[in-house]
Amino acid sequence: MRPLTKGLVRLGEATMLAGQIVRVLPRPRLYINSALQQAYVMGIQSLPLVLLMAFLGGAVTSQQTGAQFSGGLPLWVIGSVLAASVITELGPVLTGIVMMARVGAAIAAELASMKVTEQIDALVAMGRDPVAFLVTPRVVAGLIVFPPLVILANAMGIAAGWGIALLAVDGITSADIIYGMRYYFRTWALVFSILKGAVFGFAITFIACFVGLSGTGGAEGVGRTTTNAVVATTIALMLLDVLLVPVLKAF
Amino acid sequence: MIEFRNLYKSFDSHAVLRGVDLTVEEGETLALLGPSGTGKSVLIKHAMGLLEPDAGDVIVDGISIANATPKELRSVRRRIGYVFQNAALFDSLTVAENLWLAQTDEKEGRPLADCCGEAEGLLRRVNLDASVMSKYPSELSGGMRKRVGVARAIAHQPRYLLWDEPTTGLDPVNADNIDELIMELDRELGVTSIVVTHDLDTAFEVGDRIALLYDGRIRAVQKPQDILRNEDPIVRRFVRRSRVDEGVVA
Repeated sequence: MRPLTKGLVRLGEATMLAGQIVRVLPRPRLYINSALQQAYVMGIQSLPLVLLMAFLGGAVTSQQTGAQFSGGLPLWVIGSVLAASVITELGPVLTGIVMMARVGAAIAAELASMKVTEQIDALVAMGRDPVAFLVTPRVVAGLIVFPPLVILANAMGIAAGWGIALLAVDGITSADIIYGMRYYFRTWALVFSILKGAVFGFAITFIACFVGLSGTGGAEGVGRTTTNAVVATTIALMLLDVLLVPVLKAF
Repeated sequence: MIEFRNLYKSFDSHAVLRGVDLTVEEGETLALLGPSGTGKSVLIKHAMGLLEPDAGDVIVDGISIANATPKELRSVRRRIGYVFQNAALFDSLTVAENLWLAQTDEKEGRPLADCCGEAEGLLRRVNLDASVMSKYPSELSGGMRKRVGVARAIAHQPRYLLWDEPTTGLDPVNADNIDELIMELDRELGVTSIVVTHDLDTAFEVGDRIALLYDGRIRAVQKPQDILRNEDPIVRRFVRRSRVDEGVVA
């Protein structure tokens, strides 16, 4: 099969999987318990790493801004840049990267392993729908868990950037940072940040499930599938990040 | 009755099944023999709609799998129990949860606790005791996993049992135990079975008839004593020589 044809076939398969998820959604009894369990595992276990990444991201942002702008611009600008960077970009993207590495890779590996050991066939043979049983709970869990994680990452990033700025930037005060953040802050930016988190949550879990379910071969196949899932979600994450910019500007 | 009609299946450019015609009669146990990689498992997966044929059809109790509606396909799947080669137990679930999944369907949604009594009965039927209920598949031996796989396959009281290489990877004692289990279940449950194997001992032990799948087609379907006398050189090479070596055929 030619690469273009193969790509179109895969796109068609992904669309069909999305359609199957949509058909299952009105029947929450089939997936809600499993989705909540998945959300707990995804959220609680990922939280420390998400917070660590957000802390480092916020710390770097305030120091870099301080180093770049000192002398040229008023110090309160650091507060504006910190809030803008963390809320619209670093919070959702760093959360996405952590979740892609922790959750996306785990989902792809688990489903690929189930595929190659015929566990998916066993589900079908028992009259169960793998989309309702395996895919929908994971995608719904992603949608549930990403927005709160993004909010927490935003809070941690801003707190870390604030604290590090006070330590590392000469002459800056908390009043400067608060003034800068208030000068920048718009409610839509926060809503956008949460929406971006939900979009990333869907994309990461959906792509990981889709790639995982296409796993073939033995242990090597599972490894290859996991790598493919991480590559695909990385590209999707950055592509969505670019495509979502006009949404921020629109309001 | 399960009928495979002129079934074709390829993976990429590799033709695995090239016009398979085979009928499995009500109540019989058919042993499907063939060299490794000839598509025996591929063939029986078509009976449950786990694979779609490139051409041809499988008819189960008069229902065409190729043209079945989702409802018909679900109905066919509830009539068939499939024993997977490596048991295919869900490794994130306990034995009890594995059995519970097979005992109930999505609509019923019976709680796990309601199914425990039945699950214990299923385990007893495959000669396992209830102490394995709380164990995960990774905590069981290969033979025990196969037995739990069998218990799961018979949980919904199927009319047909499809056994995919039931003795592969087992030591001779466990393989004999599984052969006995196949015959016992066929007798007690009155099911129609297809036993996919490349193990001649199993085929001759459990099969009312033996079919040889070779080069994508059914080369012979005969009773065990008749297939031993088959003069087709391919059949002789695959079946008879091994049995002569073992002293079964003079």
